[in-house]
Amino acid sequence: MSQAQAAIPPQPRAKQLRACLLCSIIQTPADFRKHGCPNCEELMQMKGYPDRIQACTTTHFDGVIGVIDPEQSWVARWQRTSKYVRGMYAVRVKGRIPEDVEAELESRGIKYRPRDQSEQD
Amino acid sequence: MSDIPQRLLMPSVHDANLWQVRVRPGKERDLVFSLMRKAIDLEFSNRPLQILSAFQRDSLPGMIYVEARSAKQVSDACHGLVGIYPSRGIILVPIEEMASLLQIKKQDLTVTPGSWVRIRRGKYQGDLAQVMDITENGEEVGLKFIPRIDLNPKDDGALDALGKKRKKGAVGLASFSMRPPQRFFNYEEVVKVYGRKAVSKRNQVYVFQNDTYKDGFIEKDFRLTALQLDSVNPTLDEITRFTRGQDGTENESNVDLSIIAEASRKAAISVLQPGDHVEVFEGEQAGVKGTVHSIEQDIVTIQPIQVDVDGQRIQLPARSVRKRFKPGDHVKVMTGQNADETGLVVSVEDNVVTFLSDMSMQEISVFSKDLREAAEVGTGTNVVGNYELHDLVQLDLQTVGVIFKTERDSFRVLDQNGQVRLVQPHQISMRRDSNRAIATDSEGHELRVNDNVKEIDGEGRKGRVLHTHQSFFAFLHNRDYNENGGVFVTRARSLVSLAPKGSVMKLGSADLSKMNPALSGGAMGGMVGSGNLGRGPRDRLIGVTVMVIKGPSKGYVGTIKDTNGPVARVELITGNKVITIDKAKLKRRNPDGTLAPLEGGFMGPPRGPVNQNGRTPNPYAQQGGRTPGWGVGRTPNPYANDSRTPAWNATARTPNPYDSNKTPAWNVSSRTPNPYAADGGRTPAWSANSRTPNPYVNAGNATPARPTWGGATPGRPAWGGASPKPGGSSAAAGWGSPQRPAGSSSGWGDSGWGEPPTNAQTPAVAPTPAFDGPTPGAFAAPTPGVWESYGDFRTPAVDLSRNAAATPGITGPDTFSNQEGEFELPARWLLDPDFVTKKGMVVEVRESFGANGWHNGDYEGKDGVVLSVFDTHNETFAAMARVRFREPLVADQDVLTVPVELLRPVHPSDKDENVMILHGQHKGERAKVNVVEASLMVVTTADFVVEEITAEKLVRLSPEAS
Repeated sequence: MSQAQAAIPPQPRAKQLRACLLCSIIQTPADFRKHGCPNCEELMQMKGYPDRIQACTTTHFDGVIGVIDPEQSWVARWQRTSKYVRGMYAVRVKGRIPEDVEAELESRGIKYRPRDQSEQD
Repeated sequence: MSDIPQRLLMPSVHDANLWQVRVRPGKERDLVFSLMRKAIDLEFSNRPLQILSAFQRDSLPGMIYVEARSAKQVSDACHGLVGIYPSRGIILVPIEEMASLLQIKKQDLTVTPGSWVRIRRGKYQGDLAQVMDITENGEEVGLKFIPRIDLNPKDDGALDALGKKRKKGAVGLASFSMRPPQRFFNYEEVVKVYGRKAVSKRNQVYVFQNDTYKDGFIEKDFRLTALQLDSVNPTLDEITRFTRGQDGTENESNVDLSIIAEASRKAAISVLQPGDHVEVFEGEQAGVKGTVHSIEQDIVTIQPIQVDVDGQRIQLPARSVRKRFKPGDHVKVMTGQNADETGLVVSVEDNVVTFLSDMSMQEISVFSKDLREAAEVGTGTNVVGNYELHDLVQLDLQTVGVIFKTERDSFRVLDQNGQVRLVQPHQISMRRDSNRAIATDSEGHELRVNDNVKEIDGEGRKGRVLHTHQSFFAFLHNRDYNENGGVFVTRARSLVSLAPKGSVMKLGSADLSKMNPALSGGAMGGMVGSGNLGRGPRDRLIGVTVMVIKGPSKGYVGTIKDTNGPVARVELITGNKVITIDKAKLKRRNPDGTLAPLEGGFMGPPRGPVNQNGRTPNPYAQQGGRTPGWGVGRTPNPYANDSRTPAWNATARTPNPYDSNKTPAWNVSSRTPNPYAADGGRTPAWSANSRTPNPYVNAGNATPARPTWGGATPGRPAWGGASPKPGGSSAAAGWGSPQRPAGSSSGWGDSGWGEPPTNAQTPAVAPTPAFDGPTPGAFAAPTPGVWESYGDFRTPAVDLSRNAAATPGITGPDTFSNQEGEFELPARWLLDPDFVTKKGMVVEVRESFGANGWHNGDYEGKDGVVLSVFDTHNETFAAMARVRFREPLVADQDVLTVPVELLRPVHPSDKDENVMILHGQHKGERAKVNVVEASLMVVTTADFVVEEITAEKLVRLSPEAS
């Protein structure tokens, strides 16, 4: 249980909460700037780059999941976030990651699954 | 991990369950966050939360889902949190439903440049805007819309830094009603108000208060959440406003109404129905026309027509087709402002269809998506609530108006000041009835509803009077005017009647003394128009005696005091109570107690209960003395439909149960009152063979009701008295009739029926009226022999004093003459005091042949007009009449003096002929033929009394005489 944990946004109502387009984690923009995305910083490289944050995260998401035990949770598994850190995730995120990230994923042989539930498999 | 398809991730029995927990609506997200924080806080405590996750969906308000192994863990986790209601049940979500909770997908609203949105909040709330661009992540869109710039800022300080802040606050506060109107940005105007500094110009773009303005529009970025994307439904007005641009000429190229289609495409899909005629307006198949074959979600299958690919169906996205109409189609609007209008298509431009409304005769442009082909003609919208088109309605204490247009659930009303108002039915306090209202036109003539009038000043408009109000305003209608549905209001005093009022009007109804309330007496209430103005009651039903046939008051009798639409106020006789009741529950109660439908039967002039020709409404009255409420002025006698006596059924039987068409004792032809005589003229007691005074013996005419003679009557012991009612019930009734009062009972009883016939006494007087009656039947069946033999035998119940005995209740002198053929004009009819002074009668010469023939009969059959009648009052000198012959034998000698005996009246044959009545109550009066029926004519006398009369009793009047 002593796994990594994302910053939990203090104000759930805050309008500016953003969700990562790749892993759907929800954080405040300040946390994204300070720490980047706790799951996919390696790819997104948002830390310290507000423009990048704008491009890789969105406020347009629907549904909030508090993932407390990602390993055990079926919800996290269904959302494909069970390998990610604990934290708040969005059920659905609108938008696609920037093309460069998509290309990077492709080069690593990782299939990109948009989180807008437009594709079901 | 990420390679596993999602379907393999479906939950299994080994996974923890999802539990649904009720929460306060709006607090879902907060509670998920709270649970998350609580879990982290308690992670290393004695009792860490056992839940694995918690989530919320925006589309499922009022509930969150918690993933845990047991409900206990869920309630533990919820413990102490505010706004969560585990007490309302922690419901297990079935395994198969778990995945779908996370798959709920909101209807995806795509925003594309060019589409229309509405702004949800702020100064521009509800305003239509067009999307220009969208940021990459889809959060913000650049919009273009019509600005609302306050050109009358409250204080000039608004411009400085402080004021700016205040202004911001003001904008936030600005209520919806306070906001400035939509107006295109105009540099000059803005500079005039805010100063040159406030506006800067960069290229084609003005910047004012941090907003950019281009071509008059404001261009501004909005977050998607602040916009309403669905059900935008831009109206044609808004769109045209938008596309017209700043000065009305610009953006000509922009008047591409297909962009509206963009906004309303989604709606368009839902309005398509199989069978609709559509055309493809975009894509590869653009231009193809066809009919919709089937629709599956967004895909329509169309059957093309007029294309080579016939027989082949094309599948298309629904958004690329639109309904197709062609000029001449009859369409109906399904939705929107003009819903339910119908009309003929006059033009089609892309997806805007213009049609000519059936109702308002105006052109209406609507989107084709809102139309359907329909054969029906719009009707429904003329009545909304209790009000309908052209009703005069009271809007408030001072204002009345006339409904000139009905919309879906509101009216357009033109009030007496000429203003148009849009009112809802509930804003109308009542409907006014202007039938009572009186007004005079410019010539002082009475102005009535439905008169065709014309303005004498102003525009000289013509119209039909719909209503008058307070004797001053007149609401007119002329469908030639488009404005306000052809309804306009004007002053009654400035109107003049288009049709000249008849002389009758001037002489009769426009009696000024009647119009003068001072002369009409206090009882009239002193209100103009309230009294008897010769127009009859304002409602014919007022004053009618009715009986309630339904409801709690059933059976009560009362009088209608007032009517209002379908209800009437009835003053009950009992308890002096006034009730309001549906007219359908009322029946007219005739004086004889019979009931009749309340309405209908008013074919004559609406005179109300007053008898038409002044007779009493005697139910037994004869033809001519009819009360209204019956057919064409028939008597209210329910049993009689001609001159028959009362109490006999409609088949015109007289009380004599054994005979038809004869009165019991008093026969039309003065026959004997023998009730058993079927062939007339016999005394009741005498048989043809004169043997016995037995009234039951008849001359071969055995009465049907007495099958056997052996059946003795009561009171005739000699006859055995076998049957107490020899004549059956009808016979008994006959005996009981008033014509044979004591005579029958005492007479029969006293006279010994068992005695030999020679000295038996019939209880009636022997000389029956049959002998001096003119009826041939009386002579054809002579009874004198009988009478001679038994001279002192009396027929029962004969009133000897009256040879022309009248049936009881008969009032008219023409009682017996009503039956046709029985009227015979005296030969010297022209000398009748009623006719001798008259002239103009059309006559013809008859019986001028013979020894003392007149002109050798040369004039036999010739007709002429009576110019004068000279009565010598002397048998020696024949009375003569001067007659102008229509076709004289000698050319220049057309006036001849003819003995009156030779002149017979020429009877009218056609409608509208002027006639004089020769017989009856109106004898000598002039009249006009209204209706010609088989044997009857309905005539109206100069006093407007309607009479039904045979042609024989009428003489034609020459046109010159009238």
